[in-house]
Amino acid sequence: MHERRLAHVYGWLLLLPAAVLLVAFTHYPTVATLYDSLFSTATRLRPSTFVGLDNYRALGADPVFWQVVQNNFWFAVGTVPASIALAIAMALWVNGRLPGRALVRMAYFTPTVLPMIAVANIWLFFYTPEIGLLDKLVAAFGGSSHNWLGDPSTVLTCIIAMTIWKEAGFFMIFYLAALQSISPELREAATVEGASRWYYFRRILFPLLMPTTLFVLINALINAFKLVDHLFILTKGGPDNASNLLLYYIYEAAFSFFDTAYAATLTAVLLGFLAVMAVSQFFLFDRRIHYR
Amino acid sequence: MSDIVLKGVSKHYGSVRAVDDISFEAAAGSFLVLLGPSGCGKSTALRLIAGLEEPTAGRVLIAGRDVTRDPPSQRHVSMVFQSYALFPHLDVGENIVFGLKVRRVAAAERHRRLERVAELVGLDGLLDRRPAQLSGGQRQRVALARAIIAENAVCLMDEPLSNLDAQLRHEMRVEIRALQQRLGMTVVYVTHDQIEAMSMADRIILLREGRVEQSGEPEALYARPSSAFAARFIGTPPMNILRLAAVDGGAGIRGAANGRLVDGPADALLLGIRPEAIRIVERGGLPAEVVSVDYHGADTVVTTRVGDEPLMLRVSGHFPAGRRGAIRIGWDAAAAHVFDAKTGNRREEFHAFAPPA
Ligand SMILES: Nc1ncnc2c1ncn2[C@@H]1O[C@H](COP(=O)(O)OP(=O)(O)OP(=O)(O)O)[C@@H](O)[C@H]1O
Ligand SMILES: [Mg+2]
Repeated sequence: MHERRLAHVYGWLLLLPAAVLLVAFTHYPTVATLYDSLFSTATRLRPSTFVGLDNYRALGADPVFWQVVQNNFWFAVGTVPASIALAIAMALWVNGRLPGRALVRMAYFTPTVLPMIAVANIWLFFYTPEIGLLDKLVAAFGGSSHNWLGDPSTVLTCIIAMTIWKEAGFFMIFYLAALQSISPELREAATVEGASRWYYFRRILFPLLMPTTLFVLINALINAFKLVDHLFILTKGGPDNASNLLLYYIYEAAFSFFDTAYAATLTAVLLGFLAVMAVSQFFLFDRRIHYR
Repeated sequence: MSDIVLKGVSKHYGSVRAVDDISFEAAAGSFLVLLGPSGCGKSTALRLIAGLEEPTAGRVLIAGRDVTRDPPSQRHVSMVFQSYALFPHLDVGENIVFGLKVRRVAAAERHRRLERVAELVGLDGLLDRRPAQLSGGQRQRVALARAIIAENAVCLMDEPLSNLDAQLRHEMRVEIRALQQRLGMTVVYVTHDQIEAMSMADRIILLREGRVEQSGEPEALYARPSSAFAARFIGTPPMNILRLAAVDGGAGIRGAANGRLVDGPADALLLGIRPEAIRIVERGGLPAEVVSVDYHGADTVVTTRVGDEPLMLRVSGHFPAGRRGAIRIGWDAAAAHVFDAKTGNRREEFHAFAPPA
């Protein structure tokens, strides 16, 4: 009896450091955010008061919020499938026998290890009107100069292109690891049975990569709602909020407009959204995915 | 029915000669075994037939057609892989009909064939399981079923039984052989297990370092091995290969004071005698010192020393404990084989004699 209690104490003591960190930096802020979203922002004249769901009502009436949500939706639609498809294609390519494949693998992975700020600066140069790489290319084909990041109709596409470039290399590593754990005999067996490359990919390889795809999909989606640093360098969410995304909008609300209650409300919405997505993905895919 | 012909086929990986200028034929409807030690090029030879590797030189013919440059899908062969290569996310039924689906065989026909094949290999009732939920022997059957459902005339098997325990291996040996005969398939079967080869093959190709060491029927390989290597590879325990010393008029066993056993030069020849051809005699013969006794149940392998040379013999039943120490042994002249000491090749021109009676 005494010994069992002692074991319990040991158990909790061992858990304590991790639990403290988790509570202090994850659970407490989450709960605090939800709590704060129910209060008004304190000003010098008026202290913070309980306002119920007023903040959420204001959110629903905020046209910028809806534009940001829409932007983020198109951003996710533009980056997630494309970066996953590109990651699979690159992984298949560097998994094969080709000369200097270590070099190619590294080249694909480089965007991931580069600091965000450096990446943004490189792309800023690509997109610069007149002297940028993109404009030079367009000029070579007889096109006229264009302010890619200054035009509301092209700016989001520009950010999407850059994000795909950065994410695909990272996801490729996961696919490469998964591919290397698949026995080459499976391909040979399929080949002997007369399966084409495409058939083999569709019926064997892709289903076997499903666990990886689920993992990558969740990460890609979460990343799509977490992008903030590129916007600092490239667009500041502009022009006219055309490239503003949720997290950047939260940042603006909290640190540019110092509207902490509104920022907390936005954060609560983002958190709820991410939670629903993660849970529904697991439920949706669990049945169809083959885990070995 | 299809025959398989290899003509001067080589496969080199850089300086490694995995398969080096081999030629052989598998008659239609026969069971051919590629036998040899690890790394001798058996799998490579099989993969060359399947089209999974392209030969560096030579030609491969299946059913009279040159398929050397054809991709695997156009060769109409089935293959059973050493690790079975079952698709882990498909159930047993889907695994078996995979090839039929690829070739767009109608669903009704697929179903009909699946039922028949599943019964043939004893898998009915397991068709809804995943490979991970099967025992090794059952997986092996799935791989086999997948190979035979295509109704290809040629089936290639790469050590399909090597992952099974001894009991199951024996059963599957019998089943595979029976299946091959029932369906009239031409089977090329790779193994490093000479017992498998001896019990299943119509014809054995013994490979060594990428080359054909000897080919023929199992009885021929056993009775007249063409080299000391072939002699030692087939039969358990392996054939005794004894070094010789000059005696009056020929050669005798090195270090033993005995008469002439071979009528040739001692330092150029080796004498081979199978353990099961040696008997213990009361009188005459050669004196031998018992070194160790290895009891197997039905028989006993006795390791002895004759002169300077170790020599194993097999006696049926239990070796009487009282007869340890010095014994006398003998054999028939016809049971002795003479090999060249340098090349290892069989030397028919010299005669062997039985030990004095
Ligand atoms: N892709 C390759 N690259 C280089 N060398 C290879 C390659 N494949 C096989 N080899 C070499 O060729 C030789 C024959 O290989 P193979 O796989 O045919 O042997 P095996 O007789 O099937 O042996 P085991 O009984 O161990 O399966 C070996 O020495 C092996 O190292
Ligand atoms: Mg092999």
